[in-house]
Amino acid sequence: MEQVQYHIRCKKDDVNKAVLLPGDIERADYIGTKFFRDSVKIVENREFHIYNGIYENKPVAVCSTGIGCMSAAVAIEELTNIGCKYFIRVGTCGSLSPEINPGDIIIVTGAVRGDGASKEYIPIEYPAVADYRIVTALRNRAKKENTDYSLGIIRTHDAFYMESPFAFGDYKKRVTIWAEAGVLAIENESSTLFVIGSLRKVQVGTILVAAGNLITGKKGTKNELQKSVDKAIIIAAGALVDLREKEEEKI
Amino acid sequence: MKKMHHLQIEPGQIGEFVIMPGDPGRCHLIAEHFENPQLIAQSREYVTYTGKYEGLTVSVTSTGMGCPSAAIALEELIMSGAKYLIRLGTTGALQKNINLGDIIIPTSAVRLEGTSVEYIPIEFPAVADIDIIDALIRAAQEKNLKSHIGIIMSHDAFYKGSVFADPDFLKREQVWIDSNILSVENESSALFTIGYLRKVKVGTILTAVANHLTREVITDEEKINPIFHQMTDLCLEAFKNKN
Repeated sequence: MEQVQYHIRCKKDDVNKAVLLPGDIERADYIGTKFFRDSVKIVENREFHIYNGIYENKPVAVCSTGIGCMSAAVAIEELTNIGCKYFIRVGTCGSLSPEINPGDIIIVTGAVRGDGASKEYIPIEYPAVADYRIVTALRNRAKKENTDYSLGIIRTHDAFYMESPFAFGDYKKRVTIWAEAGVLAIENESSTLFVIGSLRKVQVGTILVAAGNLITGKKGTKNELQKSVDKAIIIAAGALVDLREKEEEKI
Repeated sequence: MKKMHHLQIEPGQIGEFVIMPGDPGRCHLIAEHFENPQLIAQSREYVTYTGKYEGLTVSVTSTGMGCPSAAIALEELIMSGAKYLIRLGTTGALQKNINLGDIIIPTSAVRLEGTSVEYIPIEFPAVADIDIIDALIRAAQEKNLKSHIGIIMSHDAFYKGSVFADPDFLKREQVWIDSNILSVENESSALFTIGYLRKVKVGTILTAVANHLTREVITDEEKINPIFHQMTDLCLEAFKNKN
């Protein structure tokens, strides 16, 4: 693993082992420069922007994954190859629940595997489950921040223009089965990240902000959403710190 | 109120907290941990007792073997008022580091069964309730009991995936062994799936009575029963913590 990884252009120990995974490149830049102390940009290649930095006196990192499970799988595989162990995706999603409004925060326990990448790894009956230690760390930090959140299963899919407010035709009809099953929201990366986490024995979790509601059609303003995204980043970065501290206690 | 079609119980006769073994023959062992346990119903493979534990009304209902009968039990228990349910059972280990008698707390389950697919497409994850997982882990830690925490697999065909199956069974299971599945059993994936759909909290606690890699098996009930008592204590503590 001394060799430089094909896409993220890093080698062993180049990246701090607790990593935030936004989808958006600009969000990685935002987290790296606005939330981390002493931050250093390590890589800028394709959709992968990686920063190391310090958060609450612990070394952490951020790496953008790009949109979709294909590139997210590449990111987490290569980061795992070079020694990263804790991953929290921070992103946005479309709410499927009438109770979850734009700007509301979701902590994810599991994901419907509506993506293609995870099927290349393991048969479809294998569950895409978030690591319980990450779920607990996120819940603890949300409580500390006095932030309400929804907790549950989301759906990960591949085709934005089939299941989103911008989709063709009757997208509401396509998502009804999931809304009725109590699936909280739709996004694009978690199911593959969770599956690879279980297969490679690294801890993976997800925290999301609802950008809009697919059922009610409500949308958040840019300002409102940014506030919630900041909150989600603070909760996720704090959770990474707590996980690192737990690891140090064991040693 | 009409009695439930299979369980022959009615709302008010069970508590919000229910332990679900597979084997009806084990219900009385679990009920021994309740104060003043009453046999409520006995019908087909479903035996139900209700009693008290530190102020909580608690019940035990057997599910029979497999997801078809377990799904019926869960649905009728929910219709009767159950809100927190823990399956308590046995399992065959798929990893070398799991010894016979070890305790397993699953976070989720591979859906290698037919029942849950009738409820929701196969890509839906069968995850245990995080509050039940946390409460069971804490209960085990307080008693200094080691537990394995991770993904298990639920299946339908015992004689295709067990130490009593044809000699090729390990070849079929290799994909699950390699994907870090802790063990195989018969009910959890449908219970987790239906629990999420019905918005109740469902979890599982298991003990390994076989290891598929070493082919060791415990068949002696005398050896299994003390572990069942231990796991019953953990379930009851978890219910208490949850409240």
